[in-house]
Amino acid sequence: MYLSPKNFPPKTQCTATYHFFITHSKEKKRKEKTLLKTQKNHRWTWITTFLSPKNSNRWKPTPTSTTTKNITSDLDLPEQDPPDSPPSTDPQINAQNKRPRSECTDSPFDDSELPSDEKRSRIVDVEEKEEEEDRHRYSPPPEVEQEEVRVVEEENILSRYAFQIDGECMPVTAPDGDRVYAKISRFETEERLKNLNFKTHSNGLILEPVNVLLEKLEQDAFTKALNSSSEGQSDTSLPEKQVVHEQLWVDKYSPNSFTELLSDEQTNREVLLWLKQWDSRVFGSEIRTTSDEVLSALKRHSSVVQHQKSNNSNLPRNNWGHKWSNGNFRHSNNSENEHSNSKGIQDLWNKKIRLSGPPEQKILLLCGPPGLGKTTLAHVAAKHCGYRVVEINASDDRSASNIETKILDVVQMNSVMADARPKCLVIDEIDGALGDGKGAVEVILKMVSDESKNDIGKDNIAKEEQSGKTSSKKRRKTTSLSRPVICICNDLYAPALRPLRQIAKVHIFIQPTVCRVVNRLKYICNKEGMKTSSIALTALAEYTECDIRSCLNTLQFLNKKKETLNVLEISSQVVGRKDMSRSAFDIWKEIFQKRKMKRPRKSSNSRGNTSDEFESLHALISYRGDHNTILDGIHENILQLQYHDPVMQKTVKCLDCLGVSDLMHQYVMRTQKMAVLVYQPSLAITVHRLVAQIQKANIEWPKSYQRYRTILMGKMDIFKSWHFKIPPYISRHLSTKSFVEELISPLLHILSPPTLRPVALHILSEKEKNDMAQLVRAMVAYCITYKNMRFDPLPNNLGHEVAQEASALSFDPPISDFVNFKGYLSGHYELSLAMKQVLVHEVEKQRIMQVSIGKSLHLTNGQKENHDLMGKGSSRAESTTIGHSAACVPDMRGDAKNVFNPRQCNPSTHTVVSTLDSSRSASTSMKLKFSGDKKKPSNGSANFFDRFRKLSGKDSQNTDAAVQKATVERDSLPLLFKFNEGFTNAVKRPVRMREFLL
Amino acid sequence: MLWVDKYRPKTLDQVIVHQDIALNLKKLVTEQDCPHLLFYGPSGSGKKTLIMALLRQVFGPGAEKVKVENRTWKIDAGSRTIDLELTTLSSANHVELSPSDVGFQDRYIVQEIIKEMAKNRPIDTKGKRGYKVLVLNEVDKLSREAQHSLRRTMEKYSTSCRLILCCNSSSKVIEAIRSRCLNVRINAPTEEQIVKVLEFIGKKEGLQLPSGFAARISEKSNRSLRRAILSFETCRVQQYPFTSNQAIPPMDWEEYVSEIASDIMKEQSPKRLFQVRGKLYELLTNCIPPEIVLKRLLYELLKRLDAELKHEICHWAAYYEHRMRLGQKAIFHLEAFVAKFMSIYKGFLITTFG
Repeated sequence: MYLSPKNFPPKTQCTATYHFFITHSKEKKRKEKTLLKTQKNHRWTWITTFLSPKNSNRWKPTPTSTTTKNITSDLDLPEQDPPDSPPSTDPQINAQNKRPRSECTDSPFDDSELPSDEKRSRIVDVEEKEEEEDRHRYSPPPEVEQEEVRVVEEENILSRYAFQIDGECMPVTAPDGDRVYAKISRFETEERLKNLNFKTHSNGLILEPVNVLLEKLEQDAFTKALNSSSEGQSDTSLPEKQVVHEQLWVDKYSPNSFTELLSDEQTNREVLLWLKQWDSRVFGSEIRTTSDEVLSALKRHSSVVQHQKSNNSNLPRNNWGHKWSNGNFRHSNNSENEHSNSKGIQDLWNKKIRLSGPPEQKILLLCGPPGLGKTTLAHVAAKHCGYRVVEINASDDRSASNIETKILDVVQMNSVMADARPKCLVIDEIDGALGDGKGAVEVILKMVSDESKNDIGKDNIAKEEQSGKTSSKKRRKTTSLSRPVICICNDLYAPALRPLRQIAKVHIFIQPTVCRVVNRLKYICNKEGMKTSSIALTALAEYTECDIRSCLNTLQFLNKKKETLNVLEISSQVVGRKDMSRSAFDIWKEIFQKRKMKRPRKSSNSRGNTSDEFESLHALISYRGDHNTILDGIHENILQLQYHDPVMQKTVKCLDCLGVSDLMHQYVMRTQKMAVLVYQPSLAITVHRLVAQIQKANIEWPKSYQRYRTILMGKMDIFKSWHFKIPPYISRHLSTKSFVEELISPLLHILSPPTLRPVALHILSEKEKNDMAQLVRAMVAYCITYKNMRFDPLPNNLGHEVAQEASALSFDPPISDFVNFKGYLSGHYELSLAMKQVLVHEVEKQRIMQVSIGKSLHLTNGQKENHDLMGKGSSRAESTTIGHSAACVPDMRGDAKNVFNPRQCNPSTHTVVSTLDSSRSASTSMKLKFSGDKKKPSNGSANFFDRFRKLSGKDSQNTDAAVQKATVERDSLPLLFKFNEGFTNAVKRPVRMREFLL
Repeated sequence: MLWVDKYRPKTLDQVIVHQDIALNLKKLVTEQDCPHLLFYGPSGSGKKTLIMALLRQVFGPGAEKVKVENRTWKIDAGSRTIDLELTTLSSANHVELSPSDVGFQDRYIVQEIIKEMAKNRPIDTKGKRGYKVLVLNEVDKLSREAQHSLRRTMEKYSTSCRLILCCNSSSKVIEAIRSRCLNVRINAPTEEQIVKVLEFIGKKEGLQLPSGFAARISEKSNRSLRRAILSFETCRVQQYPFTSNQAIPPMDWEEYVSEIASDIMKEQSPKRLFQVRGKLYELLTNCIPPEIVLKRLLYELLKRLDAELKHEICHWAAYYEHRMRLGQKAIFHLEAFVAKFMSIYKGFLITTFG
């Protein structure tokens, strides 16, 4: 379209141009003013091809807009903007002037859209060859071609080929590197221009001619572009003057493309591959169309375009296509696909992508020490694959509730804003704060688990994905993971990450080689004009453990101070040492193992050596911070060391140190004076000085103390629950201490008297019977009985199992454990099995009798006890029943206590159940049903007691007891059964009570 | 039930061991209003027995009708609420509890629960005593804060409530509390007293006691009456017609400590120390307090030791026990003591025998 000068309102242009200039410095503003004056007359505009997000970089001559001009055309010439009009306007320019090229990028719109790489590509010279390449690469759809032909026929204003345009032409480069030639038409102003030229010269409004000014501007813009970009390629020329930079070098020289990454090549590639595996899910079928394009482009590409850089166009798929054709991506993941590569490989690759779904592990976990470029890698790789990176780092609010919505937003929604690239979630510093990171981890875990559940619907999701926003609403309710998520952490073994570690693909960053780092540093130093030696840089890199960030910061710092880096400076305090915590094992190793003298320089000076050692150890332990664990580890391992210690003085000293550390710890805990903790490391160092050996120590994690604590807790629990059961007139006199100290051993003796003959009860003499009665009373009073410890899996064949089953009868609660020391044989007499069984039964009987006595007769003793029990029971009903359900699992029958207590404590349940009984007898159908269920266990218990009958011969009582027990046992667990008459949809089979209770 | 419980005196009149104290207490509660009381003395000396007998004296047999309650208390502590679980034994007139059970939060027990209990005046029926009694066990294990918050409660509610405190060592009870109480020291019964009790039980049980047998038991009992009676019953169970030289079954843990002691005497090396550590852990896991372990270990070691070294070893035992009480990880200090002993003993052996 042509712009007539009349139509061009100067005002609009002014604003537009102002936009362009606003970024420049003040001195330029001066120029600008003058320039504007000239421009009023000249009326030129620049063209840029505007890329709508849909079109991407494929050339489309349809609706295009210019930056500066667009406004004007909208204002004045709406009719001149038909959809099929060729995207060109005519810059009116001084005829002899060379058109400044880069201006078009300087419009505000472009600045926001275009990455810096893009700008570099502007330098491209007008070359026939390249032109051709362009044509091939952006093989346009047929109708476009037609149009183009038409255009050519009509006017030849805009073409891909310079030769098609007669007269003067100028190349126009789209943000993505597309290049067309636009005819420069001058009309009706030849002479006026001349006049103008003349005027400018004569009037002296500006000192320099416009073209000079423009060229300057171009130069400036170019410099700026270069600065803001990374250090770029080696062949880009350095800008002459240093721009004053506010930017940190770290940001300034951070890698922008995949090739520039410093991190380990292998890791880089694997990360990229992992991201690539998402393509089918994220980009869906777009792959196919691109592949064609790529192929066609590849076919025609025989040579490498040197300066062409891929850029992030709006649609990543096409971007991908770019990469194929781009020689700069030599190191990219698919570097095997060089230009020389044939179609075959390409096909294979495409197929691979198409076939493979999203990767097996949905999460990528990058871990490694700080400063190795984890975050950078994630960003670069994601960008490379055409994602928009959304980062959640420690600075964000990461509480579980907030982060969930955030993550879901990222992972499941598409942006409707300008940037429609799919997002890639990068959760940085996920291990940072335990509580915070956990929220994120949980959300991710949830999504992954959901994902695996509805894996079937994967295809659907993928399809929907591609169909876009319209359908996305439908599946928002499922929290599936449809975007790649990269987590970054420093400590892989942080407790919060434990679950994540199992499902994620973990990459551990290793330090890049020193020379690689040094090369980069050298390069940057060169660029910044800083003088360094590679020795110093190497030392720096080694010192910071290849932490490039700290290297760069150090260098910049030194540069600011106008200092040079020398080797000595590094070891002095100028350079901050990285605060890096090591694992506890490393620290123990350091403590127990003497460092070999590495450098003769150090060993020559022994004092320096020790202070050095002291400092490094001190630093190591302080950084770790967990003094308690460290000292526990020392305690655990110190006695296993082989150190020369004839009179154990070293050992005494070490243990004294440990004791002091314990005191200190306790003091700190009590008074909360954390400052005192500073002195902890020195204790460890003392130990190091005492016992460190050259040979490697076999270090174990300190477990014994923890084990001791848990066992102690368990035993305390046993004691407490038992203590609780004992009637208060005994228990109030019994503390834990007095129990273990004085009671337990005699009690065990008393409970298993060797004088008691294992014979039937009726054979016992009167005296023996008395003893027996007393024993039983003691057992009842102390709530002790025997219990079958083993859970018998086959209760059916009782007959066979009797012997083995009963052999496991032991005290319940397991009080005998309290004297069960390792390597110690207590002289406690063990009652015979038969005796135990008799006792179980007798204890039971005694209890029942006590209850009945307590109910009917109000004997002082019995009453009191019963009262106690009742009172106790009612208040504890809850706890006891809980205890029961736990206890009855192993063996209901053997457990007399079970039977006893609930009945005791809960008389109301008893009545309830008895009413239930009566109702049951009324209903025959119910009986049928329940006889299967309930009779069996009671039969079982009858059988159980039958065994005693032969033994003890107290038939009548036994059966009584058995029946009583059976009922009690049944009643002990108040269960309500609902029976729907006449309704059955299942096979009837006998079921044990136990199975209901489980 | 065991003899320990069976022959426990139920009233102040039945008391055999601390008859004078019992008489005084009786006089105290019958003649005038009972002050706050602080019973202290070693375990097994009869503090609890006396307290219960006292309560019976004050409230009559109703004091024996107690119920156990395990309640969870919700306490507002500023911004948060704390759940505390506490077991109490209570009758109509008194409540027994051990506030130290809840550990470091015992302060809240004292501030909230005890105050609450103290506030509520029991309904004065039939001209009975117009106060209730709170029995607090193990006061010496209370934290400082808890003890301090107890002071005010003791004064403020003294009209409606009496506190009976019970502990092993009065030195760990703050001065302020001690001064508010009538301190009653219950010392461990002498061996003669124990013999008397044993003979009394023997008579009641209708047993033939050979001469000197009761003395032997009481000698082995460390002046703990409970232990003496238990050993007595054990002996009775194991072999009835007593013989005067009958073996009195030892405490298992003491046997174990004695094993440790002989281990230590046999060899002094880090390796042996490691084995000893395992055994010490074994004792500690079985809820045996480390102080008792150390004490017993010292006792066993002293038995086997040259007189020359005894003093020094005692010194170090006291030193490490002190540190153990200050510290948290008892095993460190126990082990340090063993190491110290090994070092001293080994040095001694080398100098003596070359």
